[in-house]
Amino acid sequence: MATDASGAVPSPRPAPAPVAAGRRRDALWLLTLWIAASVIGCLLVALVWGPHLPPGRASEQAASQQTDYTVLATMATPVVIGVLLYFGWALAFWRQQPGDETDAAPQHGSLKVQTTWIVGTAAIVLSLAIYGTVELIVPAGAGGGQGPQPIFNNGMPPAASTTSWSPNSNNVLQVQVIGQQWAWTYRYPQFGGFETTQLVLPVDQPVQFNVTSLDVIHSFWAYTLGVKADANPGVNDVAYATPNTMGYFQVRCDELCGIWHGAMYDTGQVMSVADFQAWTQATAVKMASVTKILPPYALTYDPTTIPAGKINQALGLTSAGGGYYNPADPEQP
Amino acid sequence: MSLQARVATLAVAFLAVAAGVIFVVFHIIGAQPPVENYAPYAKNGAVDVMLMTTPETTVSNKPDWVSYFIKNPATGQFDHTTYFQVPANTKVNVTILGYDGCTPLRNPLWGRVSGVVGDVENVAYVNKGQTTPTQGVSTFDSWADCSVQHTFAIPGLGINVPVASPPTVEENNNLCETGPCVGNDDDTGNAPHSVVTFSFTTPKTAGTFRWQCFVPCGGGYLDGNGGPMGTPGYMMGQMEVRA
Repeated sequence: MATDASGAVPSPRPAPAPVAAGRRRDALWLLTLWIAASVIGCLLVALVWGPHLPPGRASEQAASQQTDYTVLATMATPVVIGVLLYFGWALAFWRQQPGDETDAAPQHGSLKVQTTWIVGTAAIVLSLAIYGTVELIVPAGAGGGQGPQPIFNNGMPPAASTTSWSPNSNNVLQVQVIGQQWAWTYRYPQFGGFETTQLVLPVDQPVQFNVTSLDVIHSFWAYTLGVKADANPGVNDVAYATPNTMGYFQVRCDELCGIWHGAMYDTGQVMSVADFQAWTQATAVKMASVTKILPPYALTYDPTTIPAGKINQALGLTSAGGGYYNPADPEQP
Repeated sequence: MSLQARVATLAVAFLAVAAGVIFVVFHIIGAQPPVENYAPYAKNGAVDVMLMTTPETTVSNKPDWVSYFIKNPATGQFDHTTYFQVPANTKVNVTILGYDGCTPLRNPLWGRVSGVVGDVENVAYVNKGQTTPTQGVSTFDSWADCSVQHTFAIPGLGINVPVASPPTVEENNNLCETGPCVGNDDDTGNAPHSVVTFSFTTPKTAGTFRWQCFVPCGGGYLDGNGGPMGTPGYMMGQMEVRA
């Protein structure tokens, strides 16, 4: 700490009047620029960038997520602009002048600034936390509305029947998503329980995805539908979507699941209700020979026990392939 | 130690580490099985490709792993690889000699033949010098019968072909003991096996398509999908389509 010749700590010198005036002028400029830039920035984010944010609006859930991202981005815009503006102003105008070796004026806490900062940031963060929590649970997001034991059904009615389906009814379309190294297959219990490698959905109809796995952990990610659900062996993970745009969409695995994880993707299709019903009829007929040998429809499957035929039993083949290890098996390597 | 000796030691150590890294990158991580190039052998818009499945791979350092082999079109020998090259927009006539025993499919859906001509594969069984008549099969029930040993699947093209297995207990207890299964005795080429044939047409444009087996046949590995199931040259590979 610096002392004067007498050994006493010198008292801070009051800032000269021109310096104080300069600070007020800087603050006024900063405030004006921040307000102007924030208004412009928020409008650009909300109206120009927002409609292009992922995952798009191909389903009600995706649209809801895009709206959430737009809200979050718009709320963050004034904060980002404020930080960058202050940083840039300091770099440009508050630089040490060449030859000036003096210390800067001592800084003192400002109750006004600190209160404004704490109250402002707390208001932003807490309001977004409340907004985010509501969005997770109520309209269409993940969290409480989905998962192995969904608390809420995203406003969707429970399936009235798991063996039949009709459009525009309270009976939600059930599609089982089965992950296996390294492919997705899809089972339609309300149409005879056929299984196929094609994911086809009707437009404007709510869908309940029941997601599970036959081996390791995968993650079903229908990106543009705003749906992502882990596929765990022995677990039924529920996710919902209501596609509202006809066309194709990508399905990917979003959980590193082995050497061909990167190739574990396919293309789904959203079509009209009439086309969907025609597709289900044709596919049920096409897959009839294999549907009858599939295990009965269930929310999960256990490959450790299969109804093995006599020859398989004689050969000791009573499970489906390659030493399936239950996730809780302590002998799992 | 003199300065020169220290510099020399450091240089040698650096070169040793660099050589080790280069060896690991190129020889181990970057290693790829050889590619069997069938493109020059296409005639009249068709090409014949022959593969083999074996219960053991005695030509490799993993002799107890199951594996595919592909016939080298130039030498006629079965090479230990799962990479092959075919021309675009060409009918590929595939023959698979299936020497492995049966294993139930984890997902019976893969018992259905799809993506090939007629969604049917032709199967004959060979045992003790006798060959059964060829029959067309569209769906195998691998849970009820000893009928499937592996599959040949190219998901990107919607192709799935179960490889039929020798069907009896006696045959499955007397499988080929070498890999590849070539030779004229009952432990090698004359061991019980199936002969599976099917055809499909390659895309009109070039591309690389991975193929795999959907029977988790990596016994002893996590969920049966490690080991040979996850190693190029054994139960997975690539088909390169050339324009």
